[in-house]
Amino acid sequence: MSAAPQRYTRQEMMAVAAGREIRDGELAIFGVGLSLLAGFFAKAHHAPGVRAITEGGIYGAVPIGGLPWGIECNRLSANACSFTGALDALGCLVGSGRCDVGLIGAAQVDRHGNVNTTGIWGAPLGARYVPPKVRLTGSGGANDIASCAKRTVIMLAHEKKRFAERVDYISSPGFLDGGDARERLGLTGGGPCAIVTTLGILRPEPGTREFVLDGWYEFSSPEEIAENTGWALRVAPGARVVAPPDAAELEALRAVDRTGMLRKN
Amino acid sequence: MPQVPDGHAVNVPSNSKLVSLAEAVRRFARDGMQYASGAGLPVGADAVAFGRELLRQGRRDLHAVFHCNTQQLNLLAAAGAVARAEGAFSGLEGFGFANGLKRRIESGALPFEDYSNLAMTLRYLGGALNWPFVPATVNIGSDIQWRSAFDPEHCPAPDKIPTVTDPFSGRKVGALSPLKPDLAAIHVTLADAEGNAIMLGTEWSRFELSRAARRLVLLADHIVAPDCARQFPNLVRIPGIIVDAVVWWPYSAWPQASPGVHEVDEAHMRLMNEWLGSDEGTQRYLQQFVYAYDSLDGYLDLIGRDNLARLAAGPTAFLMEPFRRWVLPAEAIEPMVARP
Repeated sequence: MSAAPQRYTRQEMMAVAAGREIRDGELAIFGVGLSLLAGFFAKAHHAPGVRAITEGGIYGAVPIGGLPWGIECNRLSANACSFTGALDALGCLVGSGRCDVGLIGAAQVDRHGNVNTTGIWGAPLGARYVPPKVRLTGSGGANDIASCAKRTVIMLAHEKKRFAERVDYISSPGFLDGGDARERLGLTGGGPCAIVTTLGILRPEPGTREFVLDGWYEFSSPEEIAENTGWALRVAPGARVVAPPDAAELEALRAVDRTGMLRKN
Repeated sequence: MPQVPDGHAVNVPSNSKLVSLAEAVRRFARDGMQYASGAGLPVGADAVAFGRELLRQGRRDLHAVFHCNTQQLNLLAAAGAVARAEGAFSGLEGFGFANGLKRRIESGALPFEDYSNLAMTLRYLGGALNWPFVPATVNIGSDIQWRSAFDPEHCPAPDKIPTVTDPFSGRKVGALSPLKPDLAAIHVTLADAEGNAIMLGTEWSRFELSRAARRLVLLADHIVAPDCARQFPNLVRIPGIIVDAVVWWPYSAWPQASPGVHEVDEAHMRLMNEWLGSDEGTQRYLQQFVYAYDSLDGYLDLIGRDNLARLAAGPTAFLMEPFRRWVLPAEAIEPMVARP
């Protein structure tokens, strides 16, 4: 695998690229971990007016003392302006369709942007349900965000085993079998607008809703990304290299990532 | 007559619901019951000490309903006390996978029925309102709808999230089943002896769960004088009229966090999860941290008095400021605790 430049890490590039998907003034929901860092980077850098919520119902907070251990962590509870709960955050603000953008993580993703965070079976599940070989965390609130947010950004490390033709289990729906499958099933949200990875950015092709390569980084290439993707990845017309993080972006990101979680690779 | 720190006398209410932790479990917990807890997300305020007491009294075959996994479910599962579980999240967020729960699921010993976080809340709400089902536009189209660990022979599972038609628009939606757990143990920050309770931090789904459960036990970090609820009635989201028992058990969320009261005990979170990753480690954990105390003082000694002080000095401690004048000292609480 190509080396990342000295100036920043692959994880930092992913967080910056995901953060760029968030626009000022939007109602945005972040999950725990990387997506929280990407979201608060956006707020610190180019989207100061973003209205950030967590699914735990903690609003208006900026994390202190390092990355929160969880979305209800005291590192977020120390300066919130409102404590509500799951019904308000995931129901009234996300399930209702009000939420503009959600950032979610994934253990596995497929060509139609479906996300698996439930388990690894290693083979297609047959008609009979059996326990997973490796149990992951389950959906949490990601299914709710993926179902109902106006758009969703998926973040994950770009490895072949994580980029499957078909995920073992759909925890959070992308475009399901592609085309208008979401609409036919009654899902109200717009679905994933981007899969932002440690190697590049994939976006859904209009019509088929299959994810295609839209951008690579200065340290990666379309060939490397294709090699690390489990389906025959096509390249979008107009795909190009994504601008590396500039000095202001890195400064903003590192102010949020005070404990250096993104600099450990 | 008991007094609060500023010298006001406290009338002992005639209808005190204060009982000891052991008595609450003796009175309300049964083998095989549907037991709900985990009320404050994976690293937040959960009534973890109630789960320890369930194990001390040998309760088993539990049908656990945990909106999100916590160290309590991780422990109960590792100890083999859970026959099956349902919830939306089985991890420990920043602390990784929950090793005790994870290995029971993977071995097939513990079927885990998956929903999402909103779905679990809506199922509690459905139980609370006595609705036949709750229409949902989440979980539909995903394997959460089609696959059932409780009904593994059928795909799509007919009784998990069946599709129904909206009678107004004609569109298809999912029908979520309501939950009415036999017993809920909920962590609250403050409660008075009648069970009027205030939660600091996210409420998560504790409002809905408190109304859905057939029996409700509160574990409070602080017992407050009755005037506290009268000063902040808007904040009393769990009123005493729906509460069966109140237990005073400071640090009941340990090693998880209780906003306003104490921080997450990072070292013990890791130790606990590591030990619960094996049967030998789980036995060691039970011996050292579940069976090893015989009183609240013994429990607090086990956590360590220096450690307690360190955990209490966190950045959310200021959240307690408006309430401190009503907090009762131990000697005012003990006379109010019902004797079995």
